[in-house]
Formats: sequence, structure tokens, C-alpha cells
Amino acid sequence: MADTAQVASAASSRDPAVGLKAVRALRALVDRLEALQVENARDEGWTWEQIAQLLGVTRQAVHKKYAGGRGPLRRRD
Amino acid sequence: MLERFTSEARAAVVGAQQEARRLGAERIGTEYLLLGLLEQDGPAAAVLTGHGLTRDAVAAAIVAHTGGDELDAEALSTLGIDLDAVRSTVEEVFGPGALGARPRPKRGHIPFTPRAKKVLELSLREALAMGSRTISDGHIALGLLREGHGLAMKVLHDRGIDPQALRTELRAALGS
Repeated sequence: MADTAQVASAASSRDPAVGLKAVRALRALVDRLEALQVENARDEGWTWEQIAQLLGVTRQAVHKKYAGGRGPLRRRD
Repeated sequence: MLERFTSEARAAVVGAQQEARRLGAERIGTEYLLLGLLEQDGPAAAVLTGHGLTRDAVAAAIVAHTGGDELDAEALSTLGIDLDAVRSTVEEVFGPGALGARPRPKRGHIPFTPRAKKVLELSLREALAMGSRTISDGHIALGLLREGHGLAMKVLHDRGIDPQALRTELRAALGS
């Protein structure tokens, strides 16, 4: 993995295709992590307000994004 | 509401579910409703097809737009992020598979996105506005246009299709 990283950065760090793909992959990873953490927080009984505050977004934003989901995320405050 | 759907409308919704499952989606968005509509034989599908919307073209657009949801270990490695390390850290806390591999869609139920639900609600409103007691696949198409956002609309936009013209043609095809 480290080898891959070195090779890729050295060979094509200025290549937009590499950079853009990396950004997209990072965003996908962030989305997964966020969903996981929000779900966990809801399981732990956190309110949308509390979650939103730590994520640095509005309560509406986090509620809109996750409240329609499955399982425990569907609970309302 | 579902009891008001014509058999074509139901088939379009079922088709949307099948397409979502086939393409490995976690949720049924507007784009899958569009695919479901294109699989029907009626006048609404004919209007859509007349604008160059084919099942394959839309499916390809969906894959192009949503393919980035896959976790790309190689792309992350160019930033020095070791996806395997992230994965094992996360799994230590939340258990195996927490980060996915996106959960394989269950056989039975893939939920609709809120936007797709809204489209179905709007299809009822379109039907009522046209004095129809039943909701046809054409009304769902009008609901898509009325809702006006989502990936389905992006596909239309990318193909240079004028929603207003499409709406007019759909209404005409629905015989109002």
C-alpha cells in the first residue's frame, strides 16, 4: 500500500485525474464514516442537535440527510 | 395511494426496484424511477424514448454518476491514506464490515429516497390535476419533472432535454 502511494504521488501528483479521483474517493470515505458515526450517535440516544453541533452543520442538514434512513436512524427527536 | 396506480405505473415502480437492485443501489432514487418508466410500453415511455432516453443510456449515466461511491483504495493511497488501516480501525470499534463493502442490497426491500417518494406523491397530484382517478406511468413521469431535482433530472439536463417541452408532450400523450 505504501509503495503504491509513493509510486502514484511521485509519478503523477500533478495529474488532475489522479487528484480528482483521490478527492472523490476521500469524499466517499468521509460519507461512510459520517453515516457510521451518526448512526452510532443515534443509537446512543444523541439528539440531532447534538450531532449537528459536533459535525459543524445545522440540525436540519443532518436530520434531512439521515432521518429518512433505515433502522435506528429513522427515530425522531 | 398505490391502489390508484395503473398496472403500468406499478410495473414502473417494480421495475425501478429491480433496476436499483441490479445496479447494486442502496436506495431507489429518481433515476431508477426513470429507468422503470422507460421499461414500459405505453405512450409515456414513447415520449421519453423519443427524446433519446433509452434504458441503456440512462443506466450508463447512473453508473457514471454514482460509481464514485465505491471506496477506492488506490485513489486514497495517493493521499497517503491506507484504506485497510482505516477499515481495521473502524471495525475494531464497530465490528466487522462496519465500513462496508456497501451492504449487499437485501433481497426484498430497498427503500426509496425521500425525493423519489416525493415524485410518487406528486404523480398523484398530477393525476388529480388532470382529472384522472388513476395514476399512470405518465403521471409518474410528470411527477419527476414537477419535483425537478435529483439524478433523473440531471440525466435529462445532461442530454439537453427541455423539461418543459417534455412535460407538454407527456400531457398530450396522456390525452388531456
